[in-house]
Amino acid sequence: MNKLTYFPGCSAHGTSEEFDHTLKLVMQTLDVQMEEIPDWNCCGATSAHVMTENLALALPMRNLVLAERLENKTMGIACASCYSRMKGTKKHLDENPELARRINTTVIDEGEYKGTIDIKSMLQYCYEEIGLETIKSKVTKSLSGLKVACYYGCLLTRPKDITLFDSPEYPMSMDLLMEALGAKAMEFDFKTECCGASFSISNTEVVESLSGKILEVAKESGAHLIVVACPLCQSNLDMRQPDIEKHTGRKFDLPVMYFTQLMALAFGYPEKELKLPKHIVSVEAALKHIGEAIPEPEKVKKIKKAVEAESEVE
Amino acid sequence: MITLGLLEKNTFLEAVNKKSGTNVLECYQCGKCVSTCPVSGYMDFPPREIMQMIKLGLKEECYMANSMWFCLTCSACSGRCPREIDVPAVMEAIRHLAIEENYRSENKKVKDIRKFHDIFLDMIKRYGRNYELRMMAEFNIRTRNLFKDMHLAPKALLKGKIPIGHESTKSAKAIQKMYKLAEKLEKDMK
Repeated sequence: MNKLTYFPGCSAHGTSEEFDHTLKLVMQTLDVQMEEIPDWNCCGATSAHVMTENLALALPMRNLVLAERLENKTMGIACASCYSRMKGTKKHLDENPELARRINTTVIDEGEYKGTIDIKSMLQYCYEEIGLETIKSKVTKSLSGLKVACYYGCLLTRPKDITLFDSPEYPMSMDLLMEALGAKAMEFDFKTECCGASFSISNTEVVESLSGKILEVAKESGAHLIVVACPLCQSNLDMRQPDIEKHTGRKFDLPVMYFTQLMALAFGYPEKELKLPKHIVSVEAALKHIGEAIPEPEKVKKIKKAVEAESEVE
Repeated sequence: MITLGLLEKNTFLEAVNKKSGTNVLECYQCGKCVSTCPVSGYMDFPPREIMQMIKLGLKEECYMANSMWFCLTCSACSGRCPREIDVPAVMEAIRHLAIEENYRSENKKVKDIRKFHDIFLDMIKRYGRNYELRMMAEFNIRTRNLFKDMHLAPKALLKGKIPIGHESTKSAKAIQKMYKLAEKLEKDMK
């Protein structure tokens, strides 16, 4: 059994409870024991680094110190924003030991910062540490027939010198993970465009515009639903979708699910474990596509025909 | 009068470079950041222009612009910058300098964004964690816009999308101490 230090982040106990819940189920199936950091605090998210310098480092540092106490090699983080803050802070502190020493004085009650823990997003952990083969071997209910658009958002792969994971322009890890579950990952050009993030409350029209474009491109890809790995992306694309539809006059009807919900489904957990009623855009119709045969796209048919015709001439 | 930074020492440029850990002089004004940035259309001056303004030492113009408040730190620009400039770090440096030197834009959007962040940081100070519903409610009260997003409430609350209650953490006390010490540290470092 593998052990993993786990940092859920504030939204895991709020808007993204279904992410947290299904993640725990999935890790159980994959034989990973998750140890939640006791008494963790908010990483400061967008606000701390926007307004302050020291607090933006001190808040994540407290969590890092607490995480180091658990003595596991790796810490897995559910929320993409927490992941970015914690990993960015670690890099910054490790490169500036003098600064690390000074910031450490603000959380010295918790202990000394050592910089020993390896930080991974849960998507990264599934992809790199567990591996697609193992994940594939646990699938009891293939998701074949389901077409998905994998949306990574900004912070899972960017900036690349902090995340050190996948491509910052066109990542494929989540796509390959979905294919391992049997689903079909569609070509989707807006994988890493920003959804508007923390402007959700303070600057809603920006979020509606940015998320609207993502929904539009996802719809055009032919996907039945969008798969995400970030709570803020999920709530912007899902909760704001009815408003976006109202303001653009376009009907999207695109449910937004966490990759762990689909993993749990493929691992044979009953639908009620996915906490589907929490979704603002209903998921049911999209999941009915599971088991359907996906016809070959017209383009591919045409190319095949042309190739056949050519070989006949020869 | 605008000087080209040749005659006078450009202290603003130096301050930004020091804080951001990047060299703004590297910028050769290609504009790739502007075409990449998802919010450049909302900015008074898109990133490319901000870079040039820093080079010209236009400090106050930078401080009063909304640009650095609109930057979402998505890092799309820095990933594509051919000069490998950390543009979000530059935006952050200007923002921090403007806060330190007490510059406040009267732009409504900027005020809203600042208020949001203030509330967020208050929330962490009080509870050690952030609670979305409280956050939204408090923002509406403090911006005197009580009905913002109220149409989402029935559905979001009924479906349990946004939980009503919240847990208290033991960490709150430790966080309050941290806030105090961090503030003191910030003063000492100046």
